Amino acid sequence: MIKYILKRVGYLILTLFLVASITFFLMKLLPGTPFNNPKLPPDQIEALKAQYGLDKPVWQQYLSYMLGLLHGDMGMSFQFSGQSVSYLIMSRIGPSLQLGLQAMILGTLLGILLGAVAAIRKNTWVDSVATIFAILGRSIPNFVFAALLQFFLAYKLRLFPIALWDGFSSSILPTIALAMAPLANTARFMRTEMVDVLNSDYIELARSKGETRWQTVANHALRNSMIPIVTIIGPMAVDLMVGSLVVENVFAIPGIGEQFVKSITTNDYPVIMGLTIMYSFMLTVVILIVDILYGVIDPRIRLNEEAN
Amino acid sequence: MRFNKRLGVLAGVAVAALFLVACGGNQSSSSTDTKTWSRMEGDVISSMDSAVVTDAISGQALVDTMDGLYRYAGSDLQPAMASKIVTPTNDGKTYTFKLRDAKWSNGDPVTAQDFVFAWKRAIDPKTKSQYAYLFSGIVNADDIMAGKKAASTLGVKAIDDKTFEVTLDHAIPYFGTMMVNPVFFPQNQKVVEKAGKNYGTNSDNIVSNGPFILKNWNGTGNSWNEVKNKDYWNAKNVKLNKINVQVIKDPSTAMNLYQSGKLDDATLSGAQAAQAKTMKDVTALKQATTFYLELNEKKTPALKNEKLRQAISMSLNRKEFIDKVLQDSSVAPTGLVPENLAKNPTTGEDFSKEAAKTTSQYTKYDKTEAKKLWSEGLKETNVKSLNLELLTDDTDVAKKSSEYFQSALEDLPGLKLTISSVPFKTRLTRSQNGQFDMVISAWGADFPDPITFLDMFTSSNSYNNGKWSNADYDKLIADSKGKDATNPEARWNDLLKAQEILTKEQGIIPIYQRAQTHLVNKKMHDLQYSPANMYNFVNAYLK
Repeated sequence: MIKYILKRVGYLILTLFLVASITFFLMKLLPGTPFNNPKLPPDQIEALKAQYGLDKPVWQQYLSYMLGLLHGDMGMSFQFSGQSVSYLIMSRIGPSLQLGLQAMILGTLLGILLGAVAAIRKNTWVDSVATIFAILGRSIPNFVFAALLQFFLAYKLRLFPIALWDGFSSSILPTIALAMAPLANTARFMRTEMVDVLNSDYIELARSKGETRWQTVANHALRNSMIPIVTIIGPMAVDLMVGSLVVENVFAIPGIGEQFVKSITTNDYPVIMGLTIMYSFMLTVVILIVDILYGVIDPRIRLNEEAN
Repeated sequence: MRFNKRLGVLAGVAVAALFLVACGGNQSSSSTDTKTWSRMEGDVISSMDSAVVTDAISGQALVDTMDGLYRYAGSDLQPAMASKIVTPTNDGKTYTFKLRDAKWSNGDPVTAQDFVFAWKRAIDPKTKSQYAYLFSGIVNADDIMAGKKAASTLGVKAIDDKTFEVTLDHAIPYFGTMMVNPVFFPQNQKVVEKAGKNYGTNSDNIVSNGPFILKNWNGTGNSWNEVKNKDYWNAKNVKLNKINVQVIKDPSTAMNLYQSGKLDDATLSGAQAAQAKTMKDVTALKQATTFYLELNEKKTPALKNEKLRQAISMSLNRKEFIDKVLQDSSVAPTGLVPENLAKNPTTGEDFSKEAAKTTSQYTKYDKTEAKKLWSEGLKETNVKSLNLELLTDDTDVAKKSSEYFQSALEDLPGLKLTISSVPFKTRLTRSQNGQFDMVISAWGADFPDPITFLDMFTSSNSYNNGKWSNADYDKLIADSKGKDATNPEARWNDLLKAQEILTKEQGIIPIYQRAQTHLVNKKMHDLQYSPANMYNFVNAYLK
């Protein structure tokens, strides 16, 4: 197992290196410069480039960036004068992480519940309602939910704050808006898998031993239906935790989501690099964790790995 | 099995917690305080180092917390750190500012040395200021920017603690109005050097000499506060105790917050701006920014024909365009220089209104006249039809705008327009390289003087993308900077005539002057807005 994990960590580092390198060279193909004042005279733009070392050949810039990265230095932001990329990320990722985690927990738990109920009550009105719910959650974009929740629950009914980041109560509506997609995703996978599992022989056996339907679901079916869920949870979690541009904008949340988009449109090279590397790191780590979790949930997978 | 029981309990607790906390939330309104003002910005502060700031949000925070030599009260330029508005000597080349007694928020006196330090720091290429070019015209400034001379050679000096002297290469008639730009603000050398590269990166490592002090700004956050500075020289006229600022990007969120009393001033756009126009709290703040069409006369020589350009201008129903497409409070312009930018030095009349007296017909919607001019123009140029590409940004507004222009202009017989929407930076590069037939451009004032607009369309200016050229125009602009530079009235007339020529010939075709739609709480009084597009919160009070 330890050997397996070490090998995977090696791949992880290689992946990060490749992502960083490819992003660096692609990013240099972006048109324009980080100096966005259209009135800046061309000679001043050249002078500024020289001050930032952007006049050097790209491979030299690449080498010095990579060297800095090895020392944990992600450089300074262009848009925020004097702010380091690491501070920018640290100071804005908190709200995004919190919302992502909350949405993840709420979405998957309710999704599992909804999917399971739909599977058990297959082809009844319960199943139909759950399916409609899942389709709506999949197809309506989260900013529409965000706007609707804000208008009805916050503005009309005054149950929640309209926006702004001020304590847990202000995180509820964005959490619900963000949770819709994972909820729908989880519910769909859960239902499909659960239907399969409930039709399998060992469930039949358990029932014939005298377990009630709910007992079989709780003791056998639920755990065995979790494998595909674990597969999608990883990428979904990262997707949620890196922040959502639109939901953060609707609720005026000081998160990291919009910074990524803004860094690209303003050619803020160090921020583009910093965020890309961070996202890739989170994604690869989560995939690693998921792979380890497979073994916990289904011992057969672990045995196979060890046999190999 | 324990696994799923735990899961069930967790789910139950999570859901219950969400709703318990939600219902327990206290939703009382905060706007009962009569000395606190809550406003919004569309983006974050990028820096509080006045030497490097170029964006309007950081600019507003600096104007609230710092005082330069002068300060705008509405459109009146008033002395701030300077004790009076200075008239230059030595043919307009020497400015001697006597400073008033004032203190930084750490107790240090504000001295002439603070200005010398700040200006030399701002122009030093090492500081990487994107506004360094505004110093051009001060002795040695151009050489310093080009790296040929040291920043210490800049033509500024502290004659004594309270006397600051600036020497220019040549008279700059609008030099005074530039002093409201934060890049010309003083800096406390001790504080800047102590903070080093962290200067201006959060509210703890800056000092203020202005009406408010910045608090609770962590350098990247979406909210900050400005509290009254008790040591401000003019503190008796600062009536607000606190300004809360919140970054809000979504106009419908802004609208909801305003309507539930969480915001006293909301900036709106799109559908919310259209909705706001019917409400009683609405205010339109005219910006010193003009949007205009440039026609590439070099690529399509037929467009050198004045009648063709006039026909294009008269085919545009600007009012309808603003109402239907922009839906905000923008203004139909009568020329390049926008309204509320500059006033006649003797009569006080607005520049754009004065210039429009003889030329307003050229920006007026008149389809019959347009078609007549168009066919005459085609005959004169011996062209049967024109296929032109309209270059624009790829934003929603730009796309909708170009579609509107396409349908309006294709009414002219023989004119065919194709639209090419590209990212902002691509548009700039293509404009500069002359790779367009027609382009929608915009220009905002660096300082409130007509020259910031008119200077662009002299024959040799690099921003004159369409290469429109008129010898009389060039001469008038040169005169305004040369022989008439120290005679405000003659200079005014030069610029006025230049705008008249540009408008008559439609060297560029003005489309609209941008205005911001705001909803502003009625209890606010004497809140002024300057031609530099900044609020002035000194004197403002709530009742």
